[in-house]
Amino acid sequence: MAPTRTVKNKHAGGGGKSSSAGGSSSSKSGPKRSSSSGVSKPKSKSGPKAKLPATQVKGRPNLPGLDKHKKKKARVYTEKELGIPELNMITPVGVTKPRGKKKGKVFVDDRESMTTILAIVQAEKEGQIESKIMRARQMEEIREARKAEADKKESERKAKLEDTKEVLRRKRKRNAGGKDGKGGEDDGENIKAYAATGTKAAKPRKKRVSFAAE
Amino acid sequence: MRVLTDAEMKTVLDKLANYMSDLKSLIAPLEDGDRYVFRLNHSRVYYVKLSIANLATSISRDALLSLGTCIGKLTKTGKFRLHITALPIIASGARHKIWIKENGAQPFLYGSNVVKAHVGRWSEDCPEHQGCVVYSMADIPLGFGVTARSTAEARRLDPTGIVCFRQSDCGEYLRDEDTLFAS
Repeated sequence: MAPTRTVKNKHAGGGGKSSSAGGSSSSKSGPKRSSSSGVSKPKSKSGPKAKLPATQVKGRPNLPGLDKHKKKKARVYTEKELGIPELNMITPVGVTKPRGKKKGKVFVDDRESMTTILAIVQAEKEGQIESKIMRARQMEEIREARKAEADKKESERKAKLEDTKEVLRRKRKRNAGGKDGKGGEDDGENIKAYAATGTKAAKPRKKRVSFAAE
Repeated sequence: MRVLTDAEMKTVLDKLANYMSDLKSLIAPLEDGDRYVFRLNHSRVYYVKLSIANLATSISRDALLSLGTCIGKLTKTGKFRLHITALPIIASGARHKIWIKENGAQPFLYGSNVVKAHVGRWSEDCPEHQGCVVYSMADIPLGFGVTARSTAEARRLDPTGIVCFRQSDCGEYLRDEDTLFAS
């Protein structure tokens, strides 16, 4: 019988009862509250009942002081205060705004300032184009010089080749002229030797000379 | 509609200086005491007479569709892009020119680059990657572009070699009709 009554009481005005009982007789209110909380827990979390733990806390003198102390400790620092390097994010060049400058736009409307900007821009551009042309000319000169050098080398090489050819031809003629009187056998041998050595007939002699020097 | 800022003005003039030799004529005072100014509306830059720009202040930004000559668009990254509508202004003071033959006009107006075989004449002493205006042989400006080779190098090039990279051509009036005047 007793538990059913307590439940009814709780619905009717448990909060008021507890608040009134808190000061006068703690021994009476104590068991009642415990019984009510034992019967239905989820309802104790609702609005009026939620204040119950607060009354209990009031009874302890040191708790509010402790809370204040905790709040002071929990200070949140911003990233700027800590000096942490910013995340490596991509910002387009045109979008970045310099810090410490005055906010807002500086408009150019008067003719003088416009002329000044125009003159600066034009001078810059002229300089760039001039340097471009100069560089192109220099490159062209270098290219021409290289080409001329390559042509010269080529002609020299050809001339040398022609000279060696001429020398070989002359030697061949001389040999042919000297051995004409001796007979056909020598001539046949000579042709065989030429066929074996080919155009590199002069090389073995060179080698012999170099070995002799050692 | 508003006046251009210092940085914006510099960017715009810098781009125009690629193609034009004489920029001062752009803002020179006219005979009637008026002068041309640059105005910005919806990130498009307009080249307009000051008197007309002053009249246009009575129209709200949203309601103002266009005024004067639109010369290009300022991108969100702070760069400036010239439109084909700026061609008459650029052509009046072009620094370097290329004239293309009859057979090259159509390919250019359809959006291709200029090849050496199509070139009739070109200005001397033109460096590489420099802005130039493309004309027909009858001296009608067709568009503008950037040189691919210097004049000296272009002489040694094959007939099929590209001489000028197209930036904009009159064919855009038809091809980009929808986006040219409104974003």
